[in-house]
Amino acid sequence: MKETTTAPGWLLVQRVAAIAILLGLWSLLIASGTMPSMLPGVIQIFSGIGEALTSSIFWAALSRTLLTALAGWAIASIIGVLFGLIIGSIKFLDRSTSILIDFGRSFPVLALMPVVIMLLGSNARMEIVVVSLSCLWPVLVQTIYGARRQEAAVADTVAVFKIPALLRFRRVLLPSALPFVATGVRISASIALLVAVGVEVISQAPGIGRQITLMQQAQRWDLAFAYLIFTGLVGWCLAVALQQVENRLLIWKRQEND
Amino acid sequence: MTMQLQADAQPEAGTQLMKVRGMSMSYGFGASENKILEDLNLDVASGEFISIVGPSGVGKTTLLRCLSGLLRPKAGTIEVSGTVISGPHPDLAVVFQDYSRSLMPWMTTRDNVAFPLQGKGMGKVERNRVADENLAAVGLEGQGDKFPWEMSGGMQQRVAIARALAYNAKVLLMDEPFASVDAQTRFDLEDLVIKLKQELGVTILLVTHDIDEALYLADKVVVIAEKPATVVDEIITGFGEDRDQLATKADPRFADARARIMHRLRKD
Repeated sequence: MKETTTAPGWLLVQRVAAIAILLGLWSLLIASGTMPSMLPGVIQIFSGIGEALTSSIFWAALSRTLLTALAGWAIASIIGVLFGLIIGSIKFLDRSTSILIDFGRSFPVLALMPVVIMLLGSNARMEIVVVSLSCLWPVLVQTIYGARRQEAAVADTVAVFKIPALLRFRRVLLPSALPFVATGVRISASIALLVAVGVEVISQAPGIGRQITLMQQAQRWDLAFAYLIFTGLVGWCLAVALQQVENRLLIWKRQEND
Repeated sequence: MTMQLQADAQPEAGTQLMKVRGMSMSYGFGASENKILEDLNLDVASGEFISIVGPSGVGKTTLLRCLSGLLRPKAGTIEVSGTVISGPHPDLAVVFQDYSRSLMPWMTTRDNVAFPLQGKGMGKVERNRVADENLAAVGLEGQGDKFPWEMSGGMQQRVAIARALAYNAKVLLMDEPFASVDAQTRFDLEDLVIKLKQELGVTILLVTHDIDEALYLADKVVVIAEKPATVVDEIITGFGEDRDQLATKADPRFADARARIMHRLRKD
């Protein structure tokens, strides 16, 4: 935050320069001929992106992937926050579930995919399930951390004024855990898109991941890379947008820390 | 006027509000039992201002937590408005020492004050009106939209007092409420509390380690000491309604009472 307020123009120049250097290095690498010939150059990728942007198939695939990622992420966020607040605020639940949660967190969800495909088939439903399973843990774990850190003075206040459980949940527990929840939700947003594309590549469920595979098979490496990079761009925009929302929601937290 | 409304809601002066009998408190069991309070008796009548004074570490916070229902004493009873309590009671409100943490930073001051009323099921318009009135009563008129962290420590403690007032409890329990503000702010807050007691007729039970503060504010000073702590002295101050930081503290009776308490506390 601080740098942007002191010299926003200079920062932008630096950032653009970093990207330009990276693209330059890529071009050099291609020109040197040391890379496999199918790797597209910078210009080919840009023209690929241009082609993608005018292709209705691309947009349909992308929106499909985004929707499934969003659905899985939303489901995971709601379940994760709800259960995280309950688990984190009740001591005996917290203690008794900690092993389960540590295990679940380190469990490779992608390895579950064959099972989920067998149960549900290669479709959007399966994809949503896999995405939610992957997104659930960061949200759950972060929310539990947040709910644990309940200030003693706040807990006393709630007790003295006999605040009913539901009101306490909504207006005390949730906001006080929010800084942690927000981190979990933001992390899992990137995971959602990543996993959605990955699932589509592996399972051939319809979406941008499948399109990437199809372009690969059709030897259209430039388009495959263009899709990949554009999807990454969308993911980055999402992350930036979420950060903005977080900053707005948590003004009180920043001020308090000052 | 709100002031009038509040005063009407308070019971007639002199009615017994709290009755504490044989209260004991300890932590741990058996050989490792650590006795904090033993056989404490206390009576609080409506309209009274009682200070409980004792040295640091004597168990004042434990005492206040027991009185507020946050801790269950090991023995004895606490009666509030005629019924024995087993937890927090709607006739009791607490102003905590740690004001900056007991206010919720994600709520505006108005929402902080109105929050307990929301818990009571009061509608939004009504509770916001009551919150604004009580903020005005503590000298924070028109500051309802600010957040606690936009305010000084003294102002935050005023918000905490407004919240306790708005709850419309019969007794206000205060735990070292002015311990972490500077001297001038402390005097201002002391005078505010005296004003609130006079104008609204609230009953206040304040716990402090500061003998001067205890004497300056109270109608009755209860001295607790020893280990485990118990009531060792009670002094009726008799300064009347009007108090002044200079004149009251220069009163010979003030010096006498002060000497008596200091002497009593030094014995330990």
